[in-house]
Amino acid sequence: MRARLIACAAALAVSIAPAMARGQAAPGSAVPDITGSWERYGGILSQRADVRRDDPTLPPPSPPPPLRPAYLQEWQARVQAAREADAKGTPLASNATTCLPEGMPAMMAAIFPMEILQSRGQVTIIEEAFTQVRRILMDQPQKPIEDVEPGFYGRSVGRWEGDTLVVETVGVKENVRFQNTSHSKDMRIAERMHLVAPNILWNEITITDPVTLEKPWTLVYAYRRMPGYTLLEYVCEDNREFAEQGLQKSTLGKK
Amino acid sequence: MRSRSVGSAGALAALWLFSAAAPVLAHHSFAMFDHTRTMTLKGEVTKFQWTNPHALLELDVPGASGVRHFTLELTSINMMQRLGWRSSDIKAGDKVKAVIAPLLNGEAGGLLLEITLPDGKKLEPGVPAAGTFKRTPEAE
Repeated sequence: MRARLIACAAALAVSIAPAMARGQAAPGSAVPDITGSWERYGGILSQRADVRRDDPTLPPPSPPPPLRPAYLQEWQARVQAAREADAKGTPLASNATTCLPEGMPAMMAAIFPMEILQSRGQVTIIEEAFTQVRRILMDQPQKPIEDVEPGFYGRSVGRWEGDTLVVETVGVKENVRFQNTSHSKDMRIAERMHLVAPNILWNEITITDPVTLEKPWTLVYAYRRMPGYTLLEYVCEDNREFAEQGLQKSTLGKK
Repeated sequence: MRSRSVGSAGALAALWLFSAAAPVLAHHSFAMFDHTRTMTLKGEVTKFQWTNPHALLELDVPGASGVRHFTLELTSINMMQRLGWRSSDIKAGDKVKAVIAPLLNGEAGGLLLEITLPDGKKLEPGVPAAGTFKRTPEAE
């Protein structure tokens, strides 16, 4: 009996250890337990009553996109067109107003709560808004970009470097825009997620794009644990939008 | 007092939060709604639609020239639920008072800013930057 128990324990240890080293947290390991619900902390939410402005776990402000001149001009024109359309009361549509998900990396801005699940060989991130789901495949090589079919979330692979989840994503569709910027099929998104406090997770996102960006574009999102919160469903069921009505009347939105 | 009632600390905190984060948290720009005036509608609910990206409220409003039908947009039902709303809060046949930011294009529609239910309870759907909509005092 005792031998059987020891054999079982040994088998368990063998089967669990690699999984722990990948997606999940093992007791005593450097891999933190980040499974659970999270809400955006700081940044756009930094005026919230319970956020202290001098909190060292608040992330730095996001810099503007370091776009190459032609793309900078295009981005500025896009922002200006949106401003003018708003001033006329006929706002332009975006992917979101047509019920499309935000995709990567915009979904990591977590406009609604977000859930992280650590499991064997995979870390899964679910954003409540538009029920967006991305799967981070642990300890797998990234494919060449040309072998990844373009999608909203791209292909993400990750690994734990000590207490930091390091993720690389490629294969995001070119019509999936982050903060109104264009990107090429060669865009890569690197993420480094680590706890800066027991309940505060930072995600340092670095976007590189040899076509559109002059240099890497790095920004930091922070998230705070939401103990006891269960994500709600979100189905974009009825897009009977005043935005759409406005769009039909706007020449700016005809494209 | 439930957390969704206007005046509760939670709802106010949430409204303040969303007013700070308006451009990012809104599903779309609210530029199609008039920010310079509000209308106060008294009418009968014909439908309360519990959907995303927005809940919708259909309202028949009697006036001097007959009944005018209004379609009102609320916020995401996810945001509303976090403020304490339930799908059963409003029913067809309810006589309500609605404060709205009307559509700029003159059509009978708008953005619901506040509703008073038949039992006198007031609810707000947590419109981002709700404070930027200039309120017009209700006509007597």
